[in-house]
Amino acid sequence: MTLAIIRKEILELTRDGRFRWGGFIVLVLLSLSLLGGWFHRHQVEEAHTAAQAMSWSQWIEQGDKNPHSAAHFGVHVFRPTSALSFVDQGVDGYVGSTTLLEAHYQNPFSFRAVQDAPGLARFADLTAATTLQLLIPLLILLMTYQAVSGERERGTLRQLLSLGVSPVRLGAGKALGVSVGLLLLLVPAAMVGALALFMAGPGDGAVGNEVLRFALLALAYLGYFMVFVLLALAVSALAPSSRVALGILLGLWALNGLVAPRVASDIARMAIPLPSGLAFQAAVSHDLANGFDDHPPQAARQAILRDSVLAAYGVALPEELPFNFAGLRFQSGEEFANLVFDRHFGSLKDQMAAQGHLHQLLGFVAPHLAIRSLSMALAGTDPWHHARYADAAEEQRRLMQQILNEDIMVNSRAGETYLASADLWSRIPPLEYAGPPVTWALESQQRAILVLLFWLALAGLMMRRGLQTLGRRI
Amino acid sequence: MTDIMLKAENLCRTYGDHAALVDLNLEVPRGSVYCLLGANGAGKSTTISLFLNFIAPTSGRALVGGVDVTRDPLGTKRHLAYIPEQVMLYPHLTGLENLKFFAALAGFDAYSMEELSAFLTRSGLEPDAHHRRVGGYSKGMRQKVGIAVALAKQADALLLDEPTSGLDPEASNTFSQSLRELRAEGVAILMATHDLFRAKEVGDRIGIMRKGRLRAELDPSTLQITDLEQLYLNQMQD
Repeated sequence: MTLAIIRKEILELTRDGRFRWGGFIVLVLLSLSLLGGWFHRHQVEEAHTAAQAMSWSQWIEQGDKNPHSAAHFGVHVFRPTSALSFVDQGVDGYVGSTTLLEAHYQNPFSFRAVQDAPGLARFADLTAATTLQLLIPLLILLMTYQAVSGERERGTLRQLLSLGVSPVRLGAGKALGVSVGLLLLLVPAAMVGALALFMAGPGDGAVGNEVLRFALLALAYLGYFMVFVLLALAVSALAPSSRVALGILLGLWALNGLVAPRVASDIARMAIPLPSGLAFQAAVSHDLANGFDDHPPQAARQAILRDSVLAAYGVALPEELPFNFAGLRFQSGEEFANLVFDRHFGSLKDQMAAQGHLHQLLGFVAPHLAIRSLSMALAGTDPWHHARYADAAEEQRRLMQQILNEDIMVNSRAGETYLASADLWSRIPPLEYAGPPVTWALESQQRAILVLLFWLALAGLMMRRGLQTLGRRI
Repeated sequence: MTDIMLKAENLCRTYGDHAALVDLNLEVPRGSVYCLLGANGAGKSTTISLFLNFIAPTSGRALVGGVDVTRDPLGTKRHLAYIPEQVMLYPHLTGLENLKFFAALAGFDAYSMEELSAFLTRSGLEPDAHHRRVGGYSKGMRQKVGIAVALAKQADALLLDEPTSGLDPEASNTFSQSLRELRAEGVAILMATHDLFRAKEVGDRIGIMRKGRLRAELDPSTLQITDLEQLYLNQMQD
């Protein structure tokens, strides 16, 4: 019986010009945005790979110079783009893509794509994520808003119920029918996505478990779509007319997809304010110069270091030490600076995580916020993934400084001109970044998953409730 | 199962102060046609909706095959077939697809296309119309699909709500013919109608309703159509 309902819904949908055209347009948009996303990523990766290679060869071929000069010369590293960014670019465009690893300072990432884009790009960017998060729910609402109210208005509902069909069963059949109709669009789109993933060639290190991540993305979006199918059926059953149902559903859609993201950003900004770039840098500079907690200011730190080292070696002057004191001083300065960076960048990361969690929890009001968070996490383009790469780059910077400073300590003498060569430069290992597995990505998304399950249950209960009253509202 | 397929026992339905139906008692045995005559608002459609449990009775009971419809709303509907004034179908589907769908929802999903087609033919629908979308069907053709659903569903009782109003005489006559066949197979038929002539022609009993009350019950075989008309008008006047 359920099968008959599904078959009839599909038959009606496929013979309905609105669904055929709407579905066709959405399928084309989704396929184009998936391929466009793949192409965009392909270009960015090519540019980054070329720039990375150039920066590395500039490092190796910088000629003979003092290691500390080389530390100031630095190396650029470029964040690899997730192979799944063709599904969801997440915050890729908003966080920088490159940073300079140099002496004394943890630089923030710069070169944000959005800085080069016109203001309108915010609205016009057609990504697969936009299609999946906004357009397909809209299509679902248009496919479904008449599902019950239309039958009521046409008088077919009376006849259906006169047959002795249970309303809940009727609704379940309709939900499945719409879902199967939707799959007619989504399965081809998923195949285009799989092709894009195949072309992107998994395993470049930006994220781990690409194939599993892709499958989970598909599952997460299916769950998100089911929320809309069930909600639209509930509203269609409860609303006094199709027009009212459409009005309510379009209103909810706009609140969820258009209003909520902007309001949520404002709420997160107000609840967990981040320091401005300028204030952040000033705070870091302040701690570097003046110390923090029981760490003394710079001049005092250097004096303490000098006195303790001289005392340990039983000598009166740094020149009498068996190594170059300048190298030790540089390294000690780095290690203190690392504490300062851990402290400030760490609290910045905590604040951004708290904002991210708040966004997910606001999903209880608008599920779009939850799927958006989960989607970019699975695609490997969320703030957590970026922070993880930034951490790896900082590790690399620290390792580099340590190797260079130790070379100064061991191989140079105070007061003499010391020049190191490409031998030393190539002793710095290139940054090998291993992307995180999907389990790591999901650790920060527990709230988003909970929110989506909550909405699925709520929509299911609402549909059940709407249908139970149906027998007397015909 | 009892021989009385449809039975109303002191059936009442009020909306606020308005009494739509007052103390209705009637019985429709297998193989007979009961016609409810009356003007709009007399309570005919209310009676049918009560048998379908689309509305709840204020008091009294509506029984299908001896079972109170409020006790077993889904089970009692399995015995019923309902044909409203306008049989509403899915315009994007063909007549045959509509019948297949309604039959399947009634629990009969094993019919072959030939069997379903035979039901449509028996109901008087031209074979070349079976595969056309019902968007282009006339009212009479849709009523025929309604009859075919009743046949496919193997209904024991038929509830008809002014099924012939607006039909041309030929279509109306075909429809009456179908009802006589169903009656011959033992189906109990309750038909609400304005059409005295049709009621006299197919009815085994005629009930005249006014303002929610059953005013008179008649045996049409003992009456001429002119007598029936006079009786009806008398009931409408007091």
